[in-house]
Amino acid sequence: MNTLLRLTVANVRSLIRDRAALFWTFFFPVMFVFLFGWIFGGSGGSKIAIGFVDQDHTVVSTGLQQAFSRVTLLTIQTGSLEAEKAAMQHGDISAIVVVPSGTGAAVAARSATPIQLYIDPSQSQVSQVVEQIATQIASGFNLELAGGTAIVGVQQLTLQSTNLTTVAYLVPSILAMALMQLGVFAAIPLVQQREKGILKRLGATPLARWKLVGSNVLLRLLVAIVDALVILGIGLIFFNVQIIGSVLAVAGLVLLGAGAFLAIGFALASFLNTEEQATGVVQVVQIPMMFLSGIFFSFDMLPGFLQVIARLMPLTYLADALRQVMVNGTQVAPLGTDLAILSGWLVVCLAIAARSFRWE
Amino acid sequence: MTQSGEPVIGVANLCKCYGDVKAVDGVSFQVGRGEVFGMLGPNGAGKTTTIEILEGLREPDSGTATVFGMDVTKHAPSIKQRIGVQLQSVSLYPRLTVTELLDLFGSFYSHHVPTKQLIDAVDLGERAKARSMNLSGGQQQRLSIALALVNDPELIFLDEPTTGLDPQARRSLWDLVKGLQARGKSIMLTTHYMEEATELCDRVAVMDHGHILEMGTVPELIGRRFKERAVFFDTSPKLPVGQLGRLEGVTRAAQEDGQTVLYSRDVPGTIGALLGLTDKLDVDPHNLGIRQATLEDVFLDLTGRALRD
Repeated sequence: MNTLLRLTVANVRSLIRDRAALFWTFFFPVMFVFLFGWIFGGSGGSKIAIGFVDQDHTVVSTGLQQAFSRVTLLTIQTGSLEAEKAAMQHGDISAIVVVPSGTGAAVAARSATPIQLYIDPSQSQVSQVVEQIATQIASGFNLELAGGTAIVGVQQLTLQSTNLTTVAYLVPSILAMALMQLGVFAAIPLVQQREKGILKRLGATPLARWKLVGSNVLLRLLVAIVDALVILGIGLIFFNVQIIGSVLAVAGLVLLGAGAFLAIGFALASFLNTEEQATGVVQVVQIPMMFLSGIFFSFDMLPGFLQVIARLMPLTYLADALRQVMVNGTQVAPLGTDLAILSGWLVVCLAIAARSFRWE
Repeated sequence: MTQSGEPVIGVANLCKCYGDVKAVDGVSFQVGRGEVFGMLGPNGAGKTTTIEILEGLREPDSGTATVFGMDVTKHAPSIKQRIGVQLQSVSLYPRLTVTELLDLFGSFYSHHVPTKQLIDAVDLGERAKARSMNLSGGQQQRLSIALALVNDPELIFLDEPTTGLDPQARRSLWDLVKGLQARGKSIMLTTHYMEEATELCDRVAVMDHGHILEMGTVPELIGRRFKERAVFFDTSPKLPVGQLGRLEGVTRAAQEDGQTVLYSRDVPGTIGALLGLTDKLDVDPHNLGIRQATLEDVFLDLTGRALRD
């Protein structure tokens, strides 16, 4: 145990003294939170402007308009569809809600009727927020219409609307990205240590191999915890992003996510021979994941074949799970599916690494 | 030094292949307690593979290898507690300091020498707080040896300990190894420097293409093959070897490393005859000299190749 601890300390020291590694592990995600926080959220108080087009002019449509205006995050302007479309193209508003004529009648007849939502897929974060709000307002209405406990629905809406800033979507996404990077990037020092013969030299001592592996895992989990604290702390302090769900669930997800990506990093390290190779391959693995996993672009705006690829990527599910647990975000897949897929990646990559890892 | 008691290393008919290449092909030798045993040979001769099998880093294909009388394939953990290992050109955690590395390695063993003492032993006192990446080549090699001594081992393996060092750093490393020998340590080292083998080793095995070609003390190896001394010189153009071979006292003439070498039982007679010949042909012999045969000559004679090729 003493040996395991000392090796872990040696790994921590090596990391802390390596400025490039420090940058990628800590400052890079921090930079992202601030950058995107400022771009999308300001101090968390900026509002999203949407257009509301009432083509129905019934009690139902007026009620919907009131529901949207009650959301503190939104500012509403009303007008004709044409005028609002022009405003959206001009960039004055980010989304348009349309209540088509006949909605009131349909509601009275108890038949299903859609309200329409125009969103701008290039503003994925904003779109996600508006979509989320619209969905909740609709379901609140449904509850009310069904004669259920409507008050609960409205209260829930009010509670969340205070947190539903764009940054609130970004913070869990960036946390997921940071966990992905720390895991996948772990391949590089491993390949480095093998290439330089450090693993071989350690193999000539009585040190047990599981301790060597264990110390690397401990190091990365430690980094994951620090990364999570820093990113969530910045989100809370600077952008007022609070964790809605259970903190324990977030902690569990952080560890599971770090574990899964660490297993991927170890599996990669099993097949890479040189540091240059490792650096290249790690980038090839991490960059598409960063861009396709719904972190910077909404999953829905991807063309079909890229969606298929994105659905294979573990980061999609970690980001999705973290968003669901942290800010109750719209889901790509149910939480159970996210967990199952992440665990699957963890087990499969661990098995690959255990079979194929080479010490020299 | 003669062998006494049970050998610390025993190797019999050791074989190890990598694909079609027989890296080690039927090697047998023993190393006695307190002995410095050297394996001399060019790169790819099988020295490192042999030493790494003994260190428990590789599995032999066939044959036996024992350290302290224990089979290396079965008792690696207990052997590793009692041996010190210095691998060929290994850099260690580059960002840890000398002290930190020695402390860390010490924690791997059931008993270990105090770090301060190790640092003094390899004369790295002034660099104790330096990160290993900032050490010079010679200092890194000293650190590497200090790490091999961390568990106060009975047997130390040094794989090309001075490769890549400047002559001064090499000398000081030799002194270090001699100090270890004086303290009764058994040492097995590999090298492709014949001066190193001559300077340090009680016995030498000359290795090439996975075989041990010859084994013994350095004077034995030389005496076994060379009763003569070598007369060497340059001429332009080169003189025909056949004609030189008939000069007085010459047993063999050869072109080696761009020099003409005459092996002679009668050096004054040979030189006289040589000068007579060059006079007659009107060529100037440059860089004329005489030397005792060396390990290099032994190697060349055994393999037909120079050691540094």
